[in-house]
Amino acid sequence: MTLNTTAETETARIARGLRERDMELLADLVERCQHRLVRYLLYLTGRRDYAEDLAQETWVRVLQRGSQYNGRQRFDPWLFAIARNLAIDYLRKKGKAVQTALPNDRDAMLLLPSSGPSPFEAAARSEDAIRLAGQLQILSPLYREALLLRFQEDLSLPEIAQVLGAPVTTVTSRIYRGLAALRSAFEEGGDSPEL
Amino acid sequence: MIRLNCDKKFRELIDRSFVEEVSEGERQLIHGHIRDCDGCKRYVELTARTIRGLREFTFTPDPDSKAQVREILADHAGTMRQHNVQFKIWAAFAVALSMSFVGSALVYQVTKRLAVPMHFDTAQLQAGVLIFWLLPSFCAALCLLAAPRENRGIA
Repeated sequence: MTLNTTAETETARIARGLRERDMELLADLVERCQHRLVRYLLYLTGRRDYAEDLAQETWVRVLQRGSQYNGRQRFDPWLFAIARNLAIDYLRKKGKAVQTALPNDRDAMLLLPSSGPSPFEAAARSEDAIRLAGQLQILSPLYREALLLRFQEDLSLPEIAQVLGAPVTTVTSRIYRGLAALRSAFEEGGDSPEL
Repeated sequence: MIRLNCDKKFRELIDRSFVEEVSEGERQLIHGHIRDCDGCKRYVELTARTIRGLREFTFTPDPDSKAQVREILADHAGTMRQHNVQFKIWAAFAVALSMSFVGSALVYQVTKRLAVPMHFDTAQLQAGVLIFWLLPSFCAALCLLAAPRENRGIA
């Protein structure tokens, strides 16, 4: 009860601060969320340079449209949803998008493979993580982002659904498929499922 | 020994136990099952290892990135404030202008009634309202636009 009240107060305080364009509050949010935001965008785009640019753009959007945050949900999913929409638009503008069979499907933009060196290998801090890094790089960003939001950001399934703009069933399906693909990294002689 | 007939059911349940909430009964069921089923036991271990591995990625943040973001936000906030001030000034000018005309019409109507005993004609009344009401109020509205930005108190 106390925790809920505290959480409500916190989100309400953030909503009020964003409405009033409180720069101190924004600086505080940047301090708390910037690292996680870049990490999420990195998982989404597979590119460090894109992730840094998009993170800056996301904060500008938060400043401009802060009044749209109602304070009823947690701030993080709202922030990630903004970042995700920007990432999709950014990739489209960068010419990463090609006309696919589903040209109107925004998620199709994320299915494009990213180029350049893998940021996952650089970030792996254990032997298991190193084995996963290769799988992560070839894994569809749709599954990669679902896994990140669940197991690194610890968002609930409804919160992830809010970020992705997809039903909870789709979210769980992506997580299960992503897990299945990554599990194959530890299976002897196991082939990774094509995702 | 992998018991094929239980794989699908239990592996779905195992996946669910890692991703969603499962009841205590279901948890006990999994624990009981994996004691006897090597395939599912390995499946649990691999899933746990995968999730643990996922948590072992640490991206080194760019030390300057937060400062850069704060700087960009400060710039944008300044620009937005300027736009906001401009908008308020034009809005105030529009209000002042409309009040000037509406006020002049009202003043003219009142003056017309009051001026009857004084035998002023219509042209004199109109000139009076124009010189003593409409022009000053119009000039006051224009002053809002002409005043130096830092002296515009309405922002």
